[in-house]
Amino acid sequence: MRDIFQDLFNKVFGFFRQAEKEENAKDTAVNRLRVVLMQDRTNLTPELLEKMRGELIELLSKYVEMDKDALELNFEQEGNQMALMLSIPVLRAKDEDEIEAETESSEEESSEQAGEKPEENSEEPAEIEESDAESEDDSENKESNTNSKDKSK
Amino acid sequence: MSGRVIVITSGKGGVGKTTTSANIGTALARAGKKVVLIDTDLGLRNLDLLLGLENRIVYTIVDVVEERCKLRQALVKDKKNPNLCLLAAAQTRDKSAITQEQLKTICEELKKDYDFILVDCPAGIEQGFQNAIAGASEAIVVTTPEMSAVRDADRIIGLLEAKEEIQSYKLLLNRVRPNLIKSNDMMSVEDVVEILSADLIGIIPEDTGIITSTNKGDPIVNDDSSLAGKAYNNVARRIMGEDVPFMNLEEDNGVFSKVKKFFSGLIGKEK
Repeated sequence: MRDIFQDLFNKVFGFFRQAEKEENAKDTAVNRLRVVLMQDRTNLTPELLEKMRGELIELLSKYVEMDKDALELNFEQEGNQMALMLSIPVLRAKDEDEIEAETESSEEESSEQAGEKPEENSEEPAEIEESDAESEDDSENKESNTNSKDKSK
Repeated sequence: MSGRVIVITSGKGGVGKTTTSANIGTALARAGKKVVLIDTDLGLRNLDLLLGLENRIVYTIVDVVEERCKLRQALVKDKKNPNLCLLAAAQTRDKSAITQEQLKTICEELKKDYDFILVDCPAGIEQGFQNAIAGASEAIVVTTPEMSAVRDADRIIGLLEAKEEIQSYKLLLNRVRPNLIKSNDMMSVEDVVEILSADLIGIIPEDTGIITSTNKGDPIVNDDSSLAGKAYNNVARRIMGEDVPFMNLEEDNGVFSKVKKFFSGLIGKEK
């Protein structure tokens, strides 16, 4: 009987104690860990992420007119894999003539990169789903598979 | 016979790798399996102490590698269980005394005569870790519900995933304190599993019995009344392929109300 009261007291006391705090120790730990592990797993520094963001904007604005300031680029955990989520508020898609003109001008500027860009383009918009960590497909897409590879470094 | 080689690893030190190795090994042997425990923590050996075999070691793994004795001669039989034996680490040498290839050869050799070869891995991710995982095809990653242990476990999982020879790895969550989880002061089992997104093979409650069993050199699975002992036994059964449900640690009020008082004392001190 005494134990029941003690338990009840603990619960009531615990409830008020919790209400005082904004976030409990457990949630703090979970949230801090999530952030730290994302950095650990990708090896991507904020500078690189910013650079990637800039290049993506440059690439994608050849095809669409978008709200550059609202573009979001984040890592998210999806099950046992990490996904690079890219959210772009599109204002308007460009028509073919505009795209052609843009492509030509950029080809003149950098003939070396022109070959790579359309290829990247097909993979990168909206989101890059990292390959399943359990499947054995590492040999081919070493470049894009930042998840499981970078975790190991 | 072709035995299974399982490495028990964690990254962080002090989370219970050696205790886990000793207990799972003993539990498997009690279930009638032939088991070898290999201590690969050269220079900092402890598995012999946990099994109470420290006075019986004549040859170590380094003696085997340097051909001062046959592999069989270096296997120390457990006091209680004839199915269990230990291949001890050398205390006077460092991690460079054996290579990955040599450990692989030893594991291959032992596979012929034993059902399970459990490799107790040193802390860290350097050569000692690389040696320990060299011969294994399965891994158990030991962690506790603490940030640093979980972060290190994540690193280890990344390294295990990159290693082709490791076909599967499972998570063992050690030193779980149900009452701290209940009060939202500690990450729950679900939190850790979700963050690491790995399959769970066991949940071991914090148990003061571990301290006394270590002092006696008698693994806690030999004590049938212990909750941690039961949890380790369940892990062994899961390794053998049985479908054993996870214990609900909160339901065990009989034991836990006692343990709880002890814990609430601890929490008071910590804050």
